[in-house]
This record gives sequence, structure tokens and C-alpha cells, in this order.
Amino acid sequence: MRISDIHSRHSIGLPNFLMVTAVLLLICIGLAAIYSATTGQQGVVVSKTFQHQLYWFLLGIVLFLLSFSFPMQFYQAFAYLFYASILLCLIAVLFIGKAGGGAVRWLSIFGFRFQPSEWTKLAVIFAIARYIADNPDKIQRKRHLLVIAGLGALPMLLIFKQPDLGTSLVFLAIVPSMMYWAGVSPLILFLAVIPALTMIASFQLWSFFLVMGILIVILIYKKIKPLFIYLHVGFNIIVGIFTPYFWNSLHEYQQNRILSFLGLVHDPKGISYQVIQSKVAIGSGGFGGKGFLAGTQTQLRFLPEQHTDFIFTVIGEELGFVGSVIVLLLFTWLLIRSLQIALSVRNRFASLVAIGITTMFLYHYFVNLGMVMGIMPVTGLPLPFISYGGSFLNASMVSVALLLNFSYRRQEF
Amino acid sequence: MKKIEFHIGKIPSNYVYGFMIGIATLILIFRLFYLQVLHQSEYRLQSDQNRIREITLKPLRGLIFDRNGKTIVDNNLAFSLYAFPYYLQRNPQLYERLSQFVNETPQTLQKTVKKSPGGYFQPVRLARAVDFTIVSHVEEERLELPGVGFWIEPIRAYLSSASAAHMLGYLGEASPQELEKELPDGYQAGDIVGKKGLEKYYEKALHGTAGVRYVEVDVMGREVRTLENPPEKPPVPGDDLYLDLDLDLQVLAEQLMSDCRGSVIMMDLRDGGILAMVSKPDYPPQLFSGVIPAKVWSELQNDPNDPLYDRTIQSVFPPGSTFKLVLALAALSTHTIDPNWSISCPGYYRYGSRVFKCWKAKGHGRVNLYQAIQQSCNVYFYQLGLKVGIDNWSKYAKLLNFGQKTGIDLPQENSGTVPDRKMLDRLYGKEKWTQALMLNLAVGQGELVVTPLQMLQLAEIIAQKGRFYQPHLLDHTHNPLTGETTYVKVDSSFIDAIPEFAFDRVREGMRMVVQSGTGRAATVPNVEVAGKTGTAQNPHGKDHAWFVGFAPFDKPQVAIVVLVENGGGGGGVAAPKAGTLLKLYFSKNAANGTSNLLAQKLN
Repeated sequence: MRISDIHSRHSIGLPNFLMVTAVLLLICIGLAAIYSATTGQQGVVVSKTFQHQLYWFLLGIVLFLLSFSFPMQFYQAFAYLFYASILLCLIAVLFIGKAGGGAVRWLSIFGFRFQPSEWTKLAVIFAIARYIADNPDKIQRKRHLLVIAGLGALPMLLIFKQPDLGTSLVFLAIVPSMMYWAGVSPLILFLAVIPALTMIASFQLWSFFLVMGILIVILIYKKIKPLFIYLHVGFNIIVGIFTPYFWNSLHEYQQNRILSFLGLVHDPKGISYQVIQSKVAIGSGGFGGKGFLAGTQTQLRFLPEQHTDFIFTVIGEELGFVGSVIVLLLFTWLLIRSLQIALSVRNRFASLVAIGITTMFLYHYFVNLGMVMGIMPVTGLPLPFISYGGSFLNASMVSVALLLNFSYRRQEF
Repeated sequence: MKKIEFHIGKIPSNYVYGFMIGIATLILIFRLFYLQVLHQSEYRLQSDQNRIREITLKPLRGLIFDRNGKTIVDNNLAFSLYAFPYYLQRNPQLYERLSQFVNETPQTLQKTVKKSPGGYFQPVRLARAVDFTIVSHVEEERLELPGVGFWIEPIRAYLSSASAAHMLGYLGEASPQELEKELPDGYQAGDIVGKKGLEKYYEKALHGTAGVRYVEVDVMGREVRTLENPPEKPPVPGDDLYLDLDLDLQVLAEQLMSDCRGSVIMMDLRDGGILAMVSKPDYPPQLFSGVIPAKVWSELQNDPNDPLYDRTIQSVFPPGSTFKLVLALAALSTHTIDPNWSISCPGYYRYGSRVFKCWKAKGHGRVNLYQAIQQSCNVYFYQLGLKVGIDNWSKYAKLLNFGQKTGIDLPQENSGTVPDRKMLDRLYGKEKWTQALMLNLAVGQGELVVTPLQMLQLAEIIAQKGRFYQPHLLDHTHNPLTGETTYVKVDSSFIDAIPEFAFDRVREGMRMVVQSGTGRAATVPNVEVAGKTGTAQNPHGKDHAWFVGFAPFDKPQVAIVVLVENGGGGGGVAAPKAGTLLKLYFSKNAANGTSNLLAQKLN
């Protein structure tokens, strides 16, 4: 097959063109929101934050074009190397990282401050996709499952240690999703995840019984051996009973230490303050919004760190319900399109990477917006393309480039 | 293009992912709808309250002037130290640092901040009238003292050479009780209000009306900009008080009293305005202009001479012989005697087994009413008292407004006590007391106590033969902003139960007192002064020296009372001071004619 043939037979296609348009729109909306949140109405000098994000965006375009031009095989070949170097970076962060906002997350290389944890998501996706692609048929084996779980768990723990609870939890979505995509029985994934769910649910009696009920129903429905049911449910009940007991036996300062270690109380004014202000900002925006640069909550800086995790409040307040829904629809289009690509590429590695990216975007989309709107716990997670932060913007743009890349070259595989 | 196919392992349904994406978007849209459409107004209200803050604009307190427009009380620039609780909470070591500036323990400061009703971003005043060196120190350390600053909060300045401490009173921070019970709406915790004297009595007028400015604040409570809507309501400064007081007379009166304990009051008889009002010992009013140090305050409170006490209206004394005027009026009004009724004074009076002395041991010989007043003969009034009796005596004393407040425009006036049959029955048991008590009362001793202001009012009533004005310090208020001027309405009363001839006889006696009797020291060249001296015995020490009088005799313009506690004889101690003051008054009035104020009012 000659290169010219490929080019003649493949075009970017309208759906992909629309996907890129959606992404560019989201980035522009994000830049506008950052401008509003940091420079604002009276701004004479454009804020440093906005300028930085603009530079990151320009760098992102370069990275986007680069990632688009390499063949898929390149990524498969270098997947482990990439994973290993990111892992090294994460370890380096623990020792020589730069602090910011109460956590140590950044590495400074040639004057660039970059955040390895944002690239870790892609690295884990590559590594797991590569591992599954290398072991096509026996993926259900315990050994393989443990290796895949380990590939996800190792960086997750390193990020958790920074501490960055929000980003570390992403792996709990990406890894099972990719395993599921690879054909791992959902039941196994479910049974692996359920003790963690039990721990969280055990603080309320009703939620604990709900989780136990669902567990028992599923186990019976799947016709699991009674002995295994007893063992598994018994284990979960023990976890459920001891978690609150253990928690309550801790001193308050110990509880606080754990909470602050999880990044749950890093803000001195309390998380509830952020959520209340966030809801007030969005809610007061109303149907049509207060107008660009006219959001009082935004312009008066009622939300701490509004340009990062809580950036959506700017959109909600200044652009209102209409603007917010447009942003949601742009994301939805991106997600549907990326799911389509995951489904359409026939290469196992590429499809797994695509579904990993889809899961990553979906998780960020729902958890970040849910948090900002007060229906999800505040864990600290940026909104793709919109939140301030160069590493995640670049990683997200590269992710889109990869999707486009795979979709464009899917005939080659 | 090939059909989309999928062939990795078992084929998972793409519906799982599609469903999840759809559900996620639907949940978020519903949530947005709930927040932005269903509950929009609620959140809009919250967002407005979040960012709009009312800033109270404190009005400038009114000034106080004398009758000639000379400034008595002014406002001076001063700085108050404040801090935002938010920053103090975050940097508790700030308390330590600030405590060194304001001479308070860090714990006291912490309490002050805790007690403040506002929120985290409502500044709390830590100290008033901070020394300027401290202001510059804090400014130098600005960076290490986040959330700490100053605002301008004027303090009182006393410009005249007069003290007038008790009359003027002083200011202080409104107490919770005052805020709840005494002060009208519109006052806030931390407001500076009058605590004593005129400052308290005319608090409402002096205070002015607070304004309000609506500002937009950021999350730190910092002002971002002033809102135009709702518009600013500027504060209206308090009314200036223009007193009837004459600073020259006041200064002289204070000088005359500087070495003694006692009081002097002078009144313009033509309208009841107080020309001078002195209570000694006093304190420099400057002590109270800012915040009085606790040590100074407790020294003043524990001083055995009670410098904080206003002796002109708060203290009561036995009036001594000056009260013989009341008995004389009662006797004449009830036709118990005519002025020619006379007795022979041997220097004592025997009543039952007891002997009551006249002040002159040799006796006055034969005296009629005029001579008895002129010479202040006790024996005459002992017998007159027995003739008039307790009931008529107390009736007329009360008619002359003893035993009740004069209603002067000052707080905390004492009403004094006029004993009557009921009271004596209560004190000693029914019918268990004898007429001997009446002998004491007749010469102004015993259970009878009066304030110097009540004695002044007696002089006023006699001078004008029954007509009198309520004594008052304020002539008019004038608002510097609105230009509104309000004159005080003065109640005038007339005592018709006492016939004119009774007044004429007593006035005649009083003229003789100064002309050739016990009050000769009160004489003023070319002006006929009438008066009565008193030497009140008191069980605690030397006699109190009294003088009450008025002048000129024919067309009275001014009444005066002088009381020197433990001063000795009224004629020797009190009368000369009265004379000196009257001399100044008449020399001034000869030069100026009637006062400007009065001329204005008559027009």
C-alpha cells in the first residue's frame, strides 16, 4: 500500500471535523472563562494566568499535530517506555517536585512547569492497551488481571501520595473500563470494586444495606456457588462493620489528618463554602446569564481557584443555562464521537486506547461538573479543555489527536 | 468505507457506554435546569447579599457654643485602630503584636473581637483615639499586620478656658443596655454616645443621622466599588448646640470656686437661660475626649471629693437661712403675720426643755420681718415657724417647687426633700415627733435638703414675683448642613397662690440684706442687688456657706446662687463671690446692652 493511496482513500471526514471544531470551541470558551475569572471587567493588563493558558494552547497545537502524524504502531511500540518514564517523573515529583495549592504536583524542566499526573492517564491507557493487545486470548486469567490492575494501581498510589485524590480516582474508572472493553467479565470487575463501595456506603445504614442487597441479587442472578456468595458477602459485611468503627475510634485530629491527606479539607474555609458559592454563582446566572465579564460572583472573586477546578461557575454565571447547555452538548458530542472511534477502529490496541480516552473524558466531565453543581463530592478534578492548567490541556489535546489519528488511519491496521 | 465492526474478545455492547454518556449529560442538564431556571431567583438574591454590603456613614457630632458663638466643644481628628476578625483568626499572633500598640492584653482584644456582632469581614474597632506615633508604627509594619488599619473617628476637643465638665458631660461607647432601652433605633453597637451631661441629654440632636453607602465587596470583604443603585444616603451631621451660657461668666465663676468645693449658678431671669453653672471640684474634660485610661477613671471615682458628681443638680444640702425666705412667704401668704409683727431676740429661744440658739449670741433685740431677714435672725423665724406650722410650711415649700425637679435639660437631677407631716410620721412614728423639728426646718436645717439649682429657682420666683421659667442651658440648635434652627420652648409658670404683697415684703427684706445686712459683700456699684445669705450647719464639718440673690432690684435681669461647702459663713464666703460675678455681668451688659441672643429673640 502506498502512502498516496492512503491519502486518496481517507479523508478527515465530517464527523471528525465536527469533533475538532467542538474541541476548539470548548478551548475558546475555556480561555474566555479564564480571562473573565482572572482579568475581569476592570482588567487593564491581561492576567498572567490567561497568557500562560494561551501559550499552553499554542504548544498544544504543536503537540496535537505531532501526535496526529505518528502512526499508531509508534505508540504501541513506545507504550511501556512512555509508562516507565512517566512513573519515574511521578517518583521524581515526590522528591524534587514543586508545591502548589498544598500539594506537590509539578516538575520543572527547562523552566517549564509540568504536571506528570496529567500525562499519567495517557501513559496508563497506553500501557494497559499494549498489555492486553500482547495477550489477546487469555486476558481473563488471574495473572493478567493482576498485572493490569498493578499497571493502574502503581501510578494511582503515587498520585494519591502527592496528594491528589481527584486525579488518582480517575484510574478507578479507566482501568476497569478498559478491562471490560477487553472482554473481562463485568462480574469480576464488580466483585473487585464492591469492597471499596462498601467502605464508602458503610457510614449510612441504608446505603450499606442497599449495596449489600445489590451484591446479593447480582451474585444469585449470576448463579454463583453458594459458598462463594457467603464468603464474599461475609467479607463485605465485615468491611462494612469495621470501617465506621475504625473511623470513629480515631481521634478527631487523626480523622482530619486523613481527610486533609485525601485533599478533602485543604481549603481553610471548608468545602461547603466552595460548593455554596459555586451553586450561587451558577444558579444566579439564570437562563440567559449575567453576560460575559458581568458575573458578579466571578468578578468579585467569590470562588477560590475559580479558574481551575471551578471554572464552569464562570460559564454558568455569565452565560447562563443556555451557554451551559451548549458546553454540555459540545462535550457530549466529543464523547459520542470518541466512543464511535473506539468502536470503529479494528485494531485492539487502538480501540482500547480510544475507550480509555473516552472513559477519561467522561469521568472528568461528569465528576467535575457534578462537583461544581453540588451533586458530587469535591475531590479536585479539572474540566477538560476549559480549566486552567497546561499539562492537562496538552494531554487532552493529544488525546483528541490520537482519536483522530486512529480514526483517520483505521484502514491501515 | 467499511461497516463498523468490532472484534476484540467478547463483544461488549456499545450501548453501555452510550447509555452512560447520555445519562451523565441528562443528569447535568436537569441539575442546571434546577439551579438556573427553577431556583434562579433564590440564588440571585443570595448572590446580591453575598456581594453588597451596607457601610454605615457615621455622622459628625454637633458642636457646642456659648451664647456669643464662642466654641466650647469641638471635634478633633483622631484615629481608631480596627482589624478584620478573619485575619486575626488566621494569624492569632497578631493579637500579641496589636496588644503592644493599644495597652491591652491579647486576651482582652480577643474578647472584643469575639463579642463583635458582625461577620468575619466586618471590621472591629480595637482602640479609639490612638496616639499618632502608634498610627505611624502600624503603617510601617503594614505588611506584617494584614487586615489591620485605621479609620478616622473624631474625638471631642475642649477649646475654651472653661471646664464646665459636669454640664457638658462626656462620651463613651454605647452599652448594650443603652442600645436596648435608652437609645432610639438607628444606633449600632460600638457607636459613641453621650454618657453624662448635655452630651447625654441632647444625644439625639448632637448625634445626627447616620448615612449609608452600598458597596460591592469581594470575597475578602474588600470594597471593590461603590454602587450607584441603591444610591448613597449621606449622613446628616448632628445639630450644634448654642447654649445660654456666657463663657466669660463661666470662666470667672470657675476661677472663684477653684479652691473650694461647691457650686455657682447664674441665670438670665428674662428667659430662664443658665449663664454660668459651676460644680467644684471637677476634672479636666479633656480626660474624656478620647478613651479615659482605667487608672485615671478609678482615681476619679475613688476621690473623696467626688469630682465626678455634679453638685449643682445631683447633690442635696441643707439650705440653712436662705430657706427663711420660704417661711416668710408662707407666713405672709397665709396672713399668719403682717410684716410689722416683731419679736425680741435675746440670742436664744427656749422650746420646752431645749434651747435653740440664734447665730448672734448677743441677740438682735427687737426685730420685725424685714430686720429678721436682713439680720437673718433665727429666733424670729423659730417663732414664725411655730406660728405657721409644718403643714403650711411644707405646702408653700412645695408650691415653690422644692421637693421636685426643676426640669433643667440635664440628666440625673435630684429632687431634694421637703419634709411634711406624713413623712415625719413615717420617720418618727405617728405623733411621736414634736414641734421642735419645725424649729429646725424654719431655719433650713433638719430633714430638709435642696439642690443649689432649686435655690436659684427660688431666687428667680421671688425676683419676678411668682413668675418663673424652667431653667435651661440650651438656647437653640442649629444644623450646619440643613441650616435648620430650632429654639427651645421655655415653659413659664406663675405661682398665684402667693400674693404679690408677700413677694414685695420678702424682696424688700432681701434688698436690705445686701444693702446693710449679712450680704453686704454682694454689693455691686450702681446696681441694686437683693439676696439672702445662709450658713447651713452640717454634722460632717464646717458650715456650708450660701448666697442666693438677684439684681437689679427693680427690673431683675439675673439670679445667682453660690454654695461653698464647708466654707463657713454665707455672708463672708458666698456673698463676695456672688458680688464679683454680678459685677462682671453688669459691666459686660453695660457695654453690650442686652445680649445679642436675647435681642434676636425679642425681634
